[in-house]
Amino acid sequence: MALSTGARTSGNSASVSQRLQKELMDIMMKPTDGVTAFPDDENMTKWTATIAGPDETPYAGLVFKLSMEFANTYPYTAPSVLFKTPIYHPNVDFSGRICLDILKDKWSATFSISSVLLSLQSLLGEPNNASPLNGQAAEFWDKNPAEFQRQVLARHKTPEELDTDAM
Amino acid sequence: MDHRSLVFASVFPVPSLSHTTPTPVATPDLGYTGPGQSFGGPLVGHTTTQHRAVKRNLAWSTATRFLSLPKSLPGINTSFEASRPLKTADVDEALHYLLVGDGKSEDGQEEGLIDWYTNEARLHFARCVQPALQAQWRKEIELQYAWDVLDDTQKVLQQAQALYLRPFEDYILHYLYQSRDSASTIRPAGPTYDDADSVHRRFRRDIHAIFAHCLPPHRFGKTLSYVLYDAGRRLFRVYVRHDSVESSPTLENTKAFRLRMTNLLQGLERIGLGGENAQKAFAHAMDKLMDSFIVSHYLKVDWYSKKSIVPHLRMWIKDGFRPLIELVMECLKCSPSNVQPTELQQWQEMALTRLGRARVESLFDFVIKWNHSLGAILDIKEYLKAAGAKQFLISTFSQQVSRRLLHPGATTTYILDVYIAVIRTFHEIEPKGVLLERVARPIRRYLKEREDTARIIISSLLTDINDDAGSKFTSSGELSYLIANEMQKPFSNFNQEADEDLNWGDMNWQPLPSDASPDYKKTKIEDVIWFLLTLWDREDFINELKNILGDHLLRSQDPEYEKEIRLLELIKVRLGDDKLQACEVMLRDVLDSKRINAAIRASGTSSQTFPQTPDHRPPETPEGPPRAPRPRRPNTTSSSLAPSAPLLKPPEAPTLNAQILSSFFWPLLRDDNFRVPAHIEALQKEYETSFERIKGMRKLRWMNALGEGAVTLEFEDRTQHFEKLAPWQVSVIYAFQPQSGDEWASGRGKNKPKDAGVTRNVVQLEDMLEMEEQLVRQALAFWVGQSVLRETHPDTYAVIEAAAPDEVDSVAAAAAQELAEVQAAQAGAVKSQSDLLQEKKDVYITFITAMLTNQGDLPVQRIAMMMKVMIPGFVFGPEEVKELLLEMEMGGKATALGGDVWGIRK
Repeated sequence: MALSTGARTSGNSASVSQRLQKELMDIMMKPTDGVTAFPDDENMTKWTATIAGPDETPYAGLVFKLSMEFANTYPYTAPSVLFKTPIYHPNVDFSGRICLDILKDKWSATFSISSVLLSLQSLLGEPNNASPLNGQAAEFWDKNPAEFQRQVLARHKTPEELDTDAM
Repeated sequence: MDHRSLVFASVFPVPSLSHTTPTPVATPDLGYTGPGQSFGGPLVGHTTTQHRAVKRNLAWSTATRFLSLPKSLPGINTSFEASRPLKTADVDEALHYLLVGDGKSEDGQEEGLIDWYTNEARLHFARCVQPALQAQWRKEIELQYAWDVLDDTQKVLQQAQALYLRPFEDYILHYLYQSRDSASTIRPAGPTYDDADSVHRRFRRDIHAIFAHCLPPHRFGKTLSYVLYDAGRRLFRVYVRHDSVESSPTLENTKAFRLRMTNLLQGLERIGLGGENAQKAFAHAMDKLMDSFIVSHYLKVDWYSKKSIVPHLRMWIKDGFRPLIELVMECLKCSPSNVQPTELQQWQEMALTRLGRARVESLFDFVIKWNHSLGAILDIKEYLKAAGAKQFLISTFSQQVSRRLLHPGATTTYILDVYIAVIRTFHEIEPKGVLLERVARPIRRYLKEREDTARIIISSLLTDINDDAGSKFTSSGELSYLIANEMQKPFSNFNQEADEDLNWGDMNWQPLPSDASPDYKKTKIEDVIWFLLTLWDREDFINELKNILGDHLLRSQDPEYEKEIRLLELIKVRLGDDKLQACEVMLRDVLDSKRINAAIRASGTSSQTFPQTPDHRPPETPEGPPRAPRPRRPNTTSSSLAPSAPLLKPPEAPTLNAQILSSFFWPLLRDDNFRVPAHIEALQKEYETSFERIKGMRKLRWMNALGEGAVTLEFEDRTQHFEKLAPWQVSVIYAFQPQSGDEWASGRGKNKPKDAGVTRNVVQLEDMLEMEEQLVRQALAFWVGQSVLRETHPDTYAVIEAAAPDEVDSVAAAAAQELAEVQAAQAGAVKSQSDLLQEKKDVYITFITAMLTNQGDLPVQRIAMMMKVMIPGFVFGPEEVKELLLEMEMGGKATALGGDVWGIRK
């Protein structure tokens, strides 16, 4: 796989950005509520995405920022996605890394940015407690929703707070 | 006497401190008794020295009494002799004794008579003359008194000089000369005696120093300078306009005036005021005179015969200016008093430079008035030979241009006109065009930034100046007469420039100017259109051309499209004919359409009678909006006519002409959809089938928004014919045709007692025509403007069946007409950029929202830049982005954070 992708993608960054451009236009033409994404600069390989927490979950009313990075093998390899906003979630660790099958071995070239983001949004409401990165969270999710909620709010920061921290 | 003077005197002997007054006659000084002498005793035992001292004292007393000056300055006519005691024998003796005899001062030990006299003169001057003079000179001399003051001063000083010199020459020099004459035989080289001349000179010099000293040198110089300048001005009759002091330009007697000036100058020279100071003042005056002459009426721009006035200037310097200078120099006794030819040349150059600078200062005005200002331009051309002139011209003119032309207040048409004038003007100044290239650069850059430049150029090129000129050019401001005029010019020798430099028979050949850059290539400078067409990159220009040409072709009144063909050829010649394919196709489309129309009409005559109206130009649209006479019900009483059958008994049947456009090559066109009147639709169908029959597989798509039509409306009391209507206007008015099932159609007599026309409201019309509300309203406004409809209630309109001279109607009509005109101006055939923006607004707003949500707050510039990169076909700039942002702000989606930075409203 590694060999073949390498052969296929060398010097193919133009087609990557074409593909990303197309995805961007798709997102713009059919915007989805609660999910947006936008490139960081002209060369389009890094994006920032925003997910609103789904209603009727502990994340309701919260907003999360993510970073997406596309290798020039995209869409044949998954983008690397990280939570920039601190999040208390069974499948996300404290540095924002995500454990989600479609971002790992279940990736397929038919996925797109918006499908990834929608999966992540639904992951917020339905964590996969079978393989937690954050064991405590998984435990609270199952046994102590009140405590879980408290942890989520304690950990969460709004984008503005993030900006001030960065400075 | 103050302390300072005393200190000064202790070091340097100052004569005035020890100046003696003549001893009164009554108390002769008998000398003094020496030490050890008996006082008052007879003068026994006289030593020679004692004797000499006494004798000298006596002589001194006599001489000084004789020579002492009167206490006041005598009047001009008073003789000196009258106030002076007679020269008696003892005076003679005393003078002789003191000046050349034994009583002469020796070794500076004793005070000499000459020194005394000098001192006497000085004191006299200080006492009697100076106060008056100083009083006169203490304040600024007002210009109008300058002459009088100088004259007065000169007279007073001359009198004083005469007063002092007379005794000196008569008595003192007399003896010196006498003694020299007598002694010369004995002691030819006697150092003491033969310098009578030098004594004389020194005395004069002393007196002149006193004179000069008593006048403030600066003020004196200025006054003299003004007087000389004034003299020159009057002699040459140079009148400076903004000189309020200047009296009315009476013709003075220049001869008398010249005499007055000469006298004054000679007088000044005589009293020693003609020295360096005066020369300096003179130089100033001449300098200023030259300036004044240059701005005077003599060197006004020659607007009538359009000639350079430089030869005139040179002549004046040679035959007017130089003689004056020579005259003054002679009066002031300068040496040498004649002017060298090289100096003359220098002056001429200097004058030319000043003239040139003065001209360049208003070059912009000359450019605007080009052709009338040829004289001034020729002056500048002469001036350009001077050193540094080009630099000056370029920088000055660039400044003028940026200040007066390249600002938002100037319309593009105006800028273009000025640019053309600049091209012409600078071609005259420097035919090689190097200068033009320099000065035109900022204008070209600026024009490129204006978005309407290309449109104005091309539409002007397509305008016929011969029909209804004037009105079009001044009122709209969208067309440049100069450009249109340029189009009229024959297509002269465009390709002949190639080998101009190899034309060895060209006697007017000139090398390129030295400041041309190495890669400078001479352009075909005369050709204004070339300059205009090369403003942009070819591609940009051709794109623009496509849009405008498309619009123009659809509106064109000329069935042969002569102008368009010519323009296209013109552009091909200048820009090369590749790339212009699209334009050619467009042109061919409209020409072909004519043939197809004819063919289809010919084939269709069997099924439908088309009245052949040879004078009637085909309306040029795919959807031939009907030349459709719409019969309104001719009479109120006749209800037998089916209202919905317009074709039933028309005076003549509607005809349809189409223009078939190859959509691939044409720019995006307006494409509003709405329903056209039923029978037009039928005609369209028919046309379509005929077309498909002729052209095989080709399909037609009707563009209902384009095109034009003519209708005849019949009212109860009148019939009106309208031409050149937009299809939507036709459709809307057609909708007022009474229709079956119309409640008004049947029952109108009861509901509306008088002149009740068919009534429709906006919503009804939208539904009936499937037309956008905006378009419906525009059409309604148009018809209200034409006094066909009337707004009976808000959004409800009725036909004015009987035109009553109703003031309300006419006022409403006037207002609506205005509105309709404004809207019509906005509705072009080709989609405008703002239309495009409106169309895609939603996507763009989503885009901006996503950008701001994910990337945080951003400045407008950055947003616009990102959009340009990321959205294909996004051609807008920060201005439009800002518009979008403002709209988002209204919708509560975005918020301005100041400094053009925007963010998402939380």
